[in-house]
Amino acid sequence: MSKRRVVVAHVDELAPGDVKIVPEGKFGVGVFNVGGEYFALTNYCPHRGAPLCRGKVTGMTEATDPYECAWVREGEILRCPWHGWEFAIKSGTTVTEPKRQVKMYPVIVEGDTILLETGDVR
Amino acid sequence: MTDVAGIVDACAHPIVQRGDDLKAYMGEVWKQRFFPAPERYLYPHPVSDFAPGTRPEEGAPGSDRALFESQLFAGGIETAILLPLTRGLSPDIDLGSEICSATNRWLAEVWLEDTGADGRFRGSIRVNPHDPEGAVKEIRRWSDHPGFVQVAVPMEAHAPYGKRQYLPVWQAAVEAGLPVAVHTDDGAGVEFPPSPVGYFRHHIEYSSFVSFNFFYHLSSLIAEGVFDRMPTLKFVFADGGADSVMAFMWRLNDHWRAVRHEQPWVKHLPTEYLRDHARFCLSRMELPEDEEALARWIDVNDGANLWLYASNYPHWSYATPQQLNEPAFPAEAFERVFRQNAADLYGLTTSVPA
Repeated sequence: MSKRRVVVAHVDELAPGDVKIVPEGKFGVGVFNVGGEYFALTNYCPHRGAPLCRGKVTGMTEATDPYECAWVREGEILRCPWHGWEFAIKSGTTVTEPKRQVKMYPVIVEGDTILLETGDVR
Repeated sequence: MTDVAGIVDACAHPIVQRGDDLKAYMGEVWKQRFFPAPERYLYPHPVSDFAPGTRPEEGAPGSDRALFESQLFAGGIETAILLPLTRGLSPDIDLGSEICSATNRWLAEVWLEDTGADGRFRGSIRVNPHDPEGAVKEIRRWSDHPGFVQVAVPMEAHAPYGKRQYLPVWQAAVEAGLPVAVHTDDGAGVEFPPSPVGYFRHHIEYSSFVSFNFFYHLSSLIAEGVFDRMPTLKFVFADGGADSVMAFMWRLNDHWRAVRHEQPWVKHLPTEYLRDHARFCLSRMELPEDEEALARWIDVNDGANLWLYASNYPHWSYATPQQLNEPAFPAEAFERVFRQNAADLYGLTTSVPA
């Protein structure tokens, strides 16, 4: 059985830091370029159903000790546009409770074309 | 109630016979000073501040050790944790600390002098958290005394207890291996109003809701990362909140998921701090009116892990184990709330094995 593949963009159209939302599935799928690697997340926040992939691509705070606050993982964090939940783009998990996760899809590059692999071909 | 032996009372209140008796335990300079009497004169109980029959022939209820023991230990209580109240927040920080020191000297001499394997009382080290240096000294002064099993501070404060000025005090408690109990105080000093919207008019409003102030301290301790700094620190909220803690905590959880980034030192979901860091003394006002709801109420608020039976003797809210167990707790929850949780927290051996 082969997978269904959908063209996302030419590689020149999705630079590092960019996202493109592809009208796949019920909510669409956001394809992100994080430092030259591609990641695809369902455009649906598990909290209240917001269009998650329209959120800001950003970094996050981290504390090594209480009151010691650093800015880390710039470009790797997606912040939901409705209530601000933070997601790690590379894993689809929330920062606060990594057991909570949005569905992810494989992304393939063939030549100069970025392809999204969704469900099986029927 | 089938088994009433070996119960631990996590909060009873001994007091001096007369307010000024404390002066016998104070330094010469301080004896000359005025300080408030024990009464909470803004909101006295309209019937009686004390439970019926607790007034001895002489002096205040809770001041006669023989009467105290004969009444408190009649209903199956084996060990009682004594939490003497102090006199409110003093505008003079050093006077506040001296009242704490005198209270500790008096407690050690009158109530804890025979604490050993057979002693049935354990005590609280009163400290003034608004004098962090003095509080640390006071904890160190008593922490080797076998009778003192916790540190105690007032619920009333000029800043919530998670703030950094208090860190040395909690650190000293951790180093002594003692939990910190929080209880509304006696007397009246320079406290803020008892609610964030000002002064109540009546006793009913005060007594029903003043204990909710516990939550400002608890949420501050979590949000400031105090429990992340001090993984063995434990707080006992000694007069209220057992029944409502989870409703408040769920709000913290919900907001933390969205605004974690402002306090990244908080590493866990707020509710996950409770079992390791918080206990709640149960009072008789806190159980559901709907008797059918008791088991669910215990489950929702994690009562089997977080609650401690407390008599509050001799205050008006005094409840014997029998009174607080009506309607009856499920057996496992009873065992934990009336015995095991406090035995674990205070390192006590009870006569009925778990």
